[in-house]
Amino acid sequence: MRIQVRRTGGFAGIERRAEVDTSGRADADEWHALAGRVMTAGRGAPPAGVPDGFSYRITVDGRSVYCADPRLTEEQRELIRRVLKEGA
Amino acid sequence: MTTNGGFEPVFCTIVPPHVLDRLAQAEDPVLHGPARRTLQRDAYERTQRRLTTVVGAPAVAALAEAEPGKPHRTVHDARHGTALPGTKVRGEGDAPGKDATVNRAYAGLGATFELFLKAYARDSIDGSGLPLDATVHYDRDYNNAFWNGEQMVFGDGDGEIFLDFTIPIDVIGHELAHGVTQYTANLTYFGQPGALNESMSDVFGALIKQYTLGQTAEEADWLIGAGLLAPRVTGKALRSMKEPGTAYDDDVLGKDPQPATMDDYVRTGRDNGGVHINSGIPNHAFYLAATTLGGHAWERAGQVWYDVLTGGELEQDAMFTDFATLTVKAARARFGEGEELQAVSKAWERVGVRTL
Repeated sequence: MRIQVRRTGGFAGIERRAEVDTSGRADADEWHALAGRVMTAGRGAPPAGVPDGFSYRITVDGRSVYCADPRLTEEQRELIRRVLKEGA
Repeated sequence: MTTNGGFEPVFCTIVPPHVLDRLAQAEDPVLHGPARRTLQRDAYERTQRRLTTVVGAPAVAALAEAEPGKPHRTVHDARHGTALPGTKVRGEGDAPGKDATVNRAYAGLGATFELFLKAYARDSIDGSGLPLDATVHYDRDYNNAFWNGEQMVFGDGDGEIFLDFTIPIDVIGHELAHGVTQYTANLTYFGQPGALNESMSDVFGALIKQYTLGQTAEEADWLIGAGLLAPRVTGKALRSMKEPGTAYDDDVLGKDPQPATMDDYVRTGRDNGGVHINSGIPNHAFYLAATTLGGHAWERAGQVWYDVLTGGELEQDAMFTDFATLTVKAARARFGEGEELQAVSKAWERVGVRTL
């Protein structure tokens, strides 16, 4: 499973991207479960957001959902945090 | 006085507002004092009326003992979670505690309140003494700050790229100014109106910093977010109103993408259509007008910008040309045919924005 996160907006307006490939990872199942919950909760188009808030696009195996500060679910926060931290 | 975003609540006074306005501008405090307090009280009553009849919300109890012309600040601590507003840690009039982040947020709220009150006779961001709320320590390693429609929210930064977002006073001012824009022109946060919205926040953020430091336009650095970048980042700030595109050039962050003129306008779908990018153009226009005029930038250039933001003619979906045209009109209305009008007109010419 390929999980990509793209973050735009924010006070600085700087884009960040990261990607994780779960194949071969010991914790792959954990990632898959988390990604599954995120895709269910995500919106098909970028939500309105708030001034200077971050806007996120989460792509799992080619399918994308969107979310924006400050209304993220706990799963979305967790997945985004992990991908931006551990991803390339 | 401020616009009400299209609402015209019914609140009729015996003394018409325009008479109070004239008195409020009198030199003599014996005349202007009571008039200003009356106007502020009237505005408060209008807001209360609007809240209870139009919006249907219960009147905000906290405002009952509110004193017009003084800030009503509350700083909360999110304790690295994301629930808002979090735990109250400092209220208006409370002594500073041990948390420097809390104290900076409190001071920044106060400085913003003071600029708007002293320079523009505006009582808080809605013009009616709206309580100023901020939450600090939002989330973990959160490299951002934002305005959520009701309050400011600050992250601590991750220490690698960004430091604590309460460090630069212009960041605090920038976020609160989003509130002022929301209550006045309410510029749509996308494309050119969004870039104007962003620019308004940078302009007033810069003015709050200059006001606090007592700087003239020549003395100011015209940087946004100076002091925010972590030591390892190659850059001096997040944005430069003086030289858009030069604030940073770093292997991780990339290069400051801001244009200074319309020739380099960026067409993109990211960042809500580049609101933090193309804001460089109106930012630069403000810098040019302010430095051409010299002196304290909030007094003339800032006054013109404020007049347009609050004057009721700036549409939510205004393009750069619409805004520029209104600034020329406002400069003429406020200051006549002299150097202010020339400075504003030339500034837009130099950045390539047409005025009609």
